Amino acid sequence: MCGGFALKPRGEYRPDATCWAILALLDDPASQRLVKQARARLAESQLPDGRVCLSPDHPEAYWPTALTVFAWHRSPEFQKNLALAVHFLITSSGKHWPRTADASVAHDTGIQGWSWIAGTHSWVEPTGLAMMALRIAGYGEHARVREGARLVLDRQLPHGGWNYGNTLVFGQELRPMPLSTGMALNALKNATPRETVQVSLDYLQKKVASLHTPQSLGWSLLGLGAWQARPVQAQQLLSECLHSQERYGGYDTSSLALMLLAGKLTGGLEDIVAGTPTP
Amino acid sequence: MTSEETKNSTPKKGLTRRDFIAAGLGGAALAAFGLYLWPQLSRPKWREQTFIGKAPDYRADITAVILSGFRELGISPAEIRGKRILLKPNLVETDLGAIHINTHPAVIYGAGQAFLKLGAAQVIVGEGPGHCRDTLMLLEESGLAAVLWADRIPFVDLNYETGYAIRNPGRYSSLTHLTFPETLRQVDWVVSLAKLKTHHWAGVTLSMKNLFGVMPGSYYGWPKNVLHHAGIEGSILDIVYALKPQLAIVDGIVGMEGDGPIMGTPKQAGVLVMGRNLPAVDATCARVMGIDPRRVEYLAKAEQFLGPIRETEIMQVGEAVAGVRSPFKLVDFIPAHRKLLPLI
Repeated sequence: MCGGFALKPRGEYRPDATCWAILALLDDPASQRLVKQARARLAESQLPDGRVCLSPDHPEAYWPTALTVFAWHRSPEFQKNLALAVHFLITSSGKHWPRTADASVAHDTGIQGWSWIAGTHSWVEPTGLAMMALRIAGYGEHARVREGARLVLDRQLPHGGWNYGNTLVFGQELRPMPLSTGMALNALKNATPRETVQVSLDYLQKKVASLHTPQSLGWSLLGLGAWQARPVQAQQLLSECLHSQERYGGYDTSSLALMLLAGKLTGGLEDIVAGTPTP
Repeated sequence: MTSEETKNSTPKKGLTRRDFIAAGLGGAALAAFGLYLWPQLSRPKWREQTFIGKAPDYRADITAVILSGFRELGISPAEIRGKRILLKPNLVETDLGAIHINTHPAVIYGAGQAFLKLGAAQVIVGEGPGHCRDTLMLLEESGLAAVLWADRIPFVDLNYETGYAIRNPGRYSSLTHLTFPETLRQVDWVVSLAKLKTHHWAGVTLSMKNLFGVMPGSYYGWPKNVLHHAGIEGSILDIVYALKPQLAIVDGIVGMEGDGPIMGTPKQAGVLVMGRNLPAVDATCARVMGIDPRRVEYLAKAEQFLGPIRETEIMQVGEAVAGVRSPFKLVDFIPAHRKLLPLI
């Protein structure tokens, strides 16, 4: 097998890194051969039920599937693969169970969303990614997407922002995280009135200027962009973040791609398929 | 003879119903007693050392305290020379200015320096945070990035490493396999560099529970929900049993009491607790916190096959527990904390 991308130089093929690289190179005419090979590599990784897993010996780690919908979108050659991936997303879900009065967690455990790994609870980020993937594939009005939006809203922290997906545990409100908040805001684009997320927009707008790392900054800019709340210094923040590589060593493929996309897509991640990236 | 007398004087043939029930109850009691006694009789007789060193705050010479612990524990340059050491701190979340959530950078630095002084070929810091996918941000906000950068200490994000799976040898949880990050195969020593904290699901989080962080998020999720669904207690035992880390160092200079592991309050205990055997170290930590380790479910189970938790089987070097005991507050409405009460 050839094609595809690793997370780090000299690393092994990873479907998540491959998806992000495809998105970053999509509009680069010189990279179209690489994009095609990478899409083919993803197709080779797809299991008959539509999932694309982290590795063949870990079919339960199916979270890259939502990313493949982005990677195969607008490619006539891979429409069957895309349809299979969409089918998998629609028919899979995180574990959920009716909320009980004595539960130690405050969120509604009965809402169906998506999990990172098979057989575990639904969390904010895989649910947000699946919602976005289904929306670009034309399933924006699907009941699962609407329920996903309900889950993400339910997991919003009372004082603003999101974390991985717990709100209050034993009565204590947990802390927000910029990466999760950016992804949740991006997932809720056009899915809820602005006032329902205003407290989170406020949190992230205050936080974004202090972010220096690609994942948090990238998702924060995409999330704020989805709500026309992108900071004016966005490009400067990205540039500073890029320079931080001198300190940390080279960023991984996914992080570099995310930063590139955050620089281009001023209205959120889904702009990539709407054909409206701005220079 | 009345019918009653007849009944009483009739020679018995075999067991009456009453005898049978009595015998059955006696047998059951014996079996229950045997079941209680068997683990006590069959468990290994342990003898392990733990070291407690005092450090009033993070400005103390932590390298010197750890080197002193090495001497007491018999960790010599000959044992460390040329080895690749993985330090696995507890890095969970950050809250600006908070020093009670994560293993303090000064302790990570001190441990790294101590190993290098003994001739380690390389010291690597590795962690796979359970809540936050942006590990770089945690490094920055916790202050660890500056320390690593200043000393050119490499860091590996265990969440995104390629995993290698092994059959789960313990099966104390429902997991059939365990997937570890590749780095673990490339180092000679794994050091659990934990924080002294209460935990609202497990009771306490110390050097054993800290090892959840070696399990890559790519395979276990954020949070590492696979381990929760498979059973937290059993997963802790499985990971320690499979991995068998060489050393534990617990940062109890400032720990966390109350609703740990992230929302509790700072608790100054002023100690570093070290040892080669993780249950022994964690049992000592629990005693420092005023908690009877036998009440911590996974420690009580660990005693059967991983290491001692009884005071009589732990040779205490450095400071005595009684001299540094500082009871940690527990939360009475948290079930995992209620099991730990009363404090000792």
